[in-house]
Amino acid sequence: MPPLFAFEGVTVTRGVGDAHVHPLSGVTTSVRAGVCTVVVGPSGAGKSTFLRLFNRFEDPSSGSVTFHGNPLPSYDVLDLRRRIGLLQQQPVLLGATVREDITTAVPELDDAAATALLERVGLGPEFLPRDTSSLSGGEAQRVCLARALSVSPEVLLADEPTSALDEFASATVERTLRGLVDDGLTTVLVTHDLRQAHRLADDLVVVVSGTVVAAGPAEQVFASADDDRARAFLAGAS
Amino acid sequence: MTLAAGTINGTTVPSWPEVALSVLLVLAAAAVILRTRLGMTRELVVAVVRAAVQLLAVGALLGLIFDHAGVPGSLAWIAAMVLVAGRVAGGRGRGLPRSMYVATAAVAAGVLTTLGTLVAVGTVSTKPTVLLPIGGMIVNGAMQGTSLVLARLRDEVTDGRRAVEARLALGLPAGQAFAPHERRAMRAALIAPIDQTKVVGLISLPGAMTGLIIAGVSPTLAIRYQIVVMYMLLGAWAVGSLVATRLMRTTLFDEAHRLRPLESLRSVA
Repeated sequence: MPPLFAFEGVTVTRGVGDAHVHPLSGVTTSVRAGVCTVVVGPSGAGKSTFLRLFNRFEDPSSGSVTFHGNPLPSYDVLDLRRRIGLLQQQPVLLGATVREDITTAVPELDDAAATALLERVGLGPEFLPRDTSSLSGGEAQRVCLARALSVSPEVLLADEPTSALDEFASATVERTLRGLVDDGLTTVLVTHDLRQAHRLADDLVVVVSGTVVAAGPAEQVFASADDDRARAFLAGAS
Repeated sequence: MTLAAGTINGTTVPSWPEVALSVLLVLAAAAVILRTRLGMTRELVVAVVRAAVQLLAVGALLGLIFDHAGVPGSLAWIAAMVLVAGRVAGGRGRGLPRSMYVATAAVAAGVLTTLGTLVAVGTVSTKPTVLLPIGGMIVNGAMQGTSLVLARLRDEVTDGRRAVEARLALGLPAGQAFAPHERRAMRAALIAPIDQTKVVGLISLPGAMTGLIIAGVSPTLAIRYQIVVMYMLLGAWAVGSLVATRLMRTTLFDEAHRLRPLESLRSVA
């Protein structure tokens, strides 16, 4: 089965002349459909830049990214972003009430559909009229997740979605994400938390200094990554 | 230039020695600044000297334009004011892409629309002695609206980047993703002139009206001019800020509906 996403020699360059940097350099890897791919690596390794390539928040300076075998720029970018949802690091609420927030992109969404979305993220129907300012961090992040799901994406990107939450809220969001993956939602999650990677990853991608140094089934990468930098990171951070 | 006080239309105009006496007020302000150690004495002196030099030069230049350059000279002077105002307002949006160009275009649009309408309907005559001062007031209004909206837009882009990207990530086009931020910036820019319009005449007598009254025009006639001035300022302010907002949207986002990476915001690792 061909990969859902394929990265071929992807380099991202920022700045010009002597001031330029490469947050990513020569990345070649792939992402399978229907599984949770976790991207790990030290701070500043290029994980978030890597994630921003999936929904074209950034484009490679060289190399290519394909989705279903077609180059990403061949898709209508707005349509692509409806197919590839994003859950940001910190909950960003866009509406005054939960109803208003989760219908941001789909104003015609009725209460029954909105309630169903809330249920998917483990929140009851009583949340629908709630003021978003009254939500806890974990509840807010799950409302953001419901909003991301409102456009029925086939892929969910999650950029360290629990890093701003306490342990309890983190566990709730993590369970919700795992449930969505088990229901077949392809998920690409960036984290620096290796324990979280252990719990969630079907596949693992290790990014160090802007390069993918190990990738494959999580158990295999955790047990026997070939690359020294990958082994050092996985051993040092655990 | 005469040193003596004069009388124009029955109104006494201060002599130069009397004008110089007003420096005493500046000395009082300088004393306060020195005493409270605000460290602004130099700035104050520069501002005072600069204002005097500028006004002397402008007075002489206006005399030349009124006497010799006519309408073309007045329009050229207004165009020069637009360029200076564009630079000043653009500076308020420093960090935003092409802020000088956007600000200049916005001020120009505010001036063209407002002054053009007033001249077209005959409210303002094309006499240089009317066109130029009114044009100057309109440039100032458009500049203030543009400055305020650009400063606020910069804050919105800096502080609201994650909210904009959250909307873009849902597949919303740039215009829709940025619309709430534009509305906030516009509201912030328009509060001041609306408030000013509400209280005009109650907490201060505005400049145009004061000038006319000092020149001996009856207050009931002077308010007619003031009403035109207030409405045209509001119009120039609103058009300037609206055009700046719309133009800035086109420079802030690229064709793939992405917020351009501003220098100060390049922090994604």
